[in-house]
Amino acid sequence: MISDRVKSNLQYAFWESFLPKLGMILLVTIVLMAVFAPLIATHDPTRTGHFNEDGAQYPPLGFEYTSEIATGGEIVEITVESTNEHILGTNKIGQDVFSRFVYGARVSLLVGIFGVVLALIIGVPFGLIAGYYGGHIDDGLMRMADIMLAFPSLVLALALIGVFGQQPIRVPDPIVKAGLAEGMPETIPIPGAVIIVVALVTWVWFARVARGEALSLRNAEYVKAARSFGTSNRTILFKHVLPNSLTPIIVLATIQIAVIILTEASLAYLGFSGTTLSWGFEIKQGQSVLRTRPWVAMVPGIGIVLSVISVNLLGDWFRDALDPNIEGGERGG
Amino acid sequence: MSMPKFLLRRTLQGIFVIWGVVTVLFVLRAVSPGDPATLMLGEGANQELIQQVRAEEGLNDPIFVQYADYITDLVTGDLGYSWRSNREVEAMVIERIPATLELSIAATIVAISIAVPMGVISATRREQLSDYGATLFSLLGISTPNFWLGLMLILVLGVWVGIFPTGRRAVGFGEALMTLVGTGSPGELLTWLEYIALPALTLGTYFTALITRLTRSGMIDELGKPYVKATQAKGLPLVLTRYKHVLRNTMIPIITVLGLQMGTLMGGAVITETVFNWPGLGQRFVDALGIRDWPLMQGIILFVAISFVVINIVVDALYTYLDPQVSVE
Repeated sequence: MISDRVKSNLQYAFWESFLPKLGMILLVTIVLMAVFAPLIATHDPTRTGHFNEDGAQYPPLGFEYTSEIATGGEIVEITVESTNEHILGTNKIGQDVFSRFVYGARVSLLVGIFGVVLALIIGVPFGLIAGYYGGHIDDGLMRMADIMLAFPSLVLALALIGVFGQQPIRVPDPIVKAGLAEGMPETIPIPGAVIIVVALVTWVWFARVARGEALSLRNAEYVKAARSFGTSNRTILFKHVLPNSLTPIIVLATIQIAVIILTEASLAYLGFSGTTLSWGFEIKQGQSVLRTRPWVAMVPGIGIVLSVISVNLLGDWFRDALDPNIEGGERGG
Repeated sequence: MSMPKFLLRRTLQGIFVIWGVVTVLFVLRAVSPGDPATLMLGEGANQELIQQVRAEEGLNDPIFVQYADYITDLVTGDLGYSWRSNREVEAMVIERIPATLELSIAATIVAISIAVPMGVISATRREQLSDYGATLFSLLGISTPNFWLGLMLILVLGVWVGIFPTGRRAVGFGEALMTLVGTGSPGELLTWLEYIALPALTLGTYFTALITRLTRSGMIDELGKPYVKATQAKGLPLVLTRYKHVLRNTMIPIITVLGLQMGTLMGGAVITETVFNWPGLGQRFVDALGIRDWPLMQGIILFVAISFVVINIVVDALYTYLDPQVSVE
C-alpha cells in the first residue's frame, strides 16, 4: 500500500521541521479531549442555571465585569467576580463554558472524520471507474463536477439541510454508561444529517483526484501486464490502481477534514446543525453578549482555530513530504 | 481553436452547468418536506384555500409536467414570486446585489493588496523572520472561521479600540458616490468606507492567506527558472526582474484559482453578511432558508451560479492575453 520510500519521506519531514510536530501534539490533545470529555468536563455541559447570587453569569477565572441589575425598582451596577467552580465562566443561560468547550470537540471531530470517510466511500470508486473506463461515465462525472463547482458549497449544504432536516442521532456515551462519570449527559448527539450533507458537497473533489490517478495509471506497464494475464477489471481497479492512487487521496482527505470542521461550525453558527453542543452554536450564543461578556464567543472560537490549524499542519506535512499536485477544494466558512 | 469558437463552446458548457444547477434545485425542492401551498399560506390556512393554491400552482400535476413548467418559466426569465412576501423574486434578488458586490470587490481588493506584497517578500527573503511571519499569518488565515474572526474584529476594533462603527451599513456605495458628484462632499463616501472596512477584512482574510501562499510558492518556482539567470546576466536590475517578469508569470495561475474560488467567496459572504447584518444576498438567502422560501432561494442560487460560470469564462479568456504561450485549447 504505502511504499518504504513514502514512509521514509514522511519520517524525514516530520523530524526535520517543527510544524508537523506542533500539529500532531495539538491534534492528539484535541482527540483525547473529545474522547474523554465526560472525565475532563467539570459540569454537565447541558445543565443551565449556573449563576451567582445576583443572577449574573460568571466571568472566567481572574476576570471581573460590571453588570446592571434591577433591585427594588432601581437599577444598580454590581461587580461580578469569577469563581473556581467555573474556570472559563458561564454563558447566557448559565451553562459552564469550559465543559461546553470540551464537549464541542466531539461534534467537530465526529463530523470532520465521518464526513470525510463518507465522501471517500462515494467519491473514490466513482472517480476510479470514470478514469479507468473513460468514455461516457467519465464525461458524466466531469460534467457533474462542473455543476457541483458552480454551487457555493456552504450554500448547497444549507439547501440540503433543508431537505434532510437536522435531527441528531443519539448514541449512549460509553464512559458515562460504564459509571465513570457521574452526572454527565448519557448520550452523544451525532449530527447525522450534517455528516451526510458535508459528504455530499465534498465527494466530488475525491472523485476528481481519483479519476486523475486512474487515468494516468490505466496504461501503466503493470496494469497492461495484469490485463494480459486475464485479470478482471475489478481486480485491476481495486488491487492495482487504488493502492497506487492513495497518496494524493490521503493528502486531500486531511485537508478536507479541516474544511469540513469549518463547514460544520458555519452551519451551527447559522443555526442549522441540529445540535447545540457545537462550538459554532456556542459562538452564536455569545454574539448577543459580545460587548459585555466576550468570553462566551471567544472560547469556542479558539477551539475551532486550534483544531483546524492542527489538521492543516498535518496536511501540509503530508503534501510536502509526498508532493502530489492536487487542487485544494473549497472551504466552507 | 479560435477565440469565437472557444467562447461558443464555453458558453454551451455554461448553459449545461446552469441547467444542472436548476435541475438539482428542482429535485431538492421536490423531495424536501413541507407542502408548498401550506408554506405559502402559512400554518393554519383553511384546506379549501390550500387546495385552490395547489391547483393554481400546478402542484397536483405529474412531476415531469411540473419540471417542464419550471424550466419554461426560467427560460422566459420568470423567477416566480416569494412564497412568504409574495413579491417578485427577480426584484428581491436585484435589490440585494449591490451590497454583496461591494463587499466582494472590497474583500478582493483587501486580499490582493495585502497578499501579493507579502507573498513576494516571503519568497525573496526565504527562511527569514518576515517569511516565517507571513507563513504563520497565512496558516491562521486559512484556519480561522469567518464568523468568529468577524466577531473578534467587532470586539477589538469596534468596541475596545472604537475606531470602526459596529452597526448596520449606513449608506450604499452608489448613493455615496452620487453625493460626492452632486455636492462635492466626500462625507458619505468616508462613512461608507468606515462601515465596509471590518466586513471586507473579515471576508478577505481567507483570500489574503490563500493568495499569500500561492504567490510565495509560485515566486519560488519561478525564481529558479533559467530566464531569471539570463536577465541577471544581461544586467537587468533585480527589482525589475522580480516585479516585471517573475511576478507577472506568478500571477497567471493565481487568477485561475481566484475564479474557481468564487464559490468560497459567496459562501463567505453568507456568513459575513449574517455577522455584520449586511443587507446583501447572503443574508437574504439565510432568511429565505429559515422559512423555506424556495423560489427566493432558487433565484439567489441561480444568480450565483450564472456569475460563477461567466467569471470563469472571462478568466479563461483573459489567460490567453496574460500568457501568450497558452492557447484557448
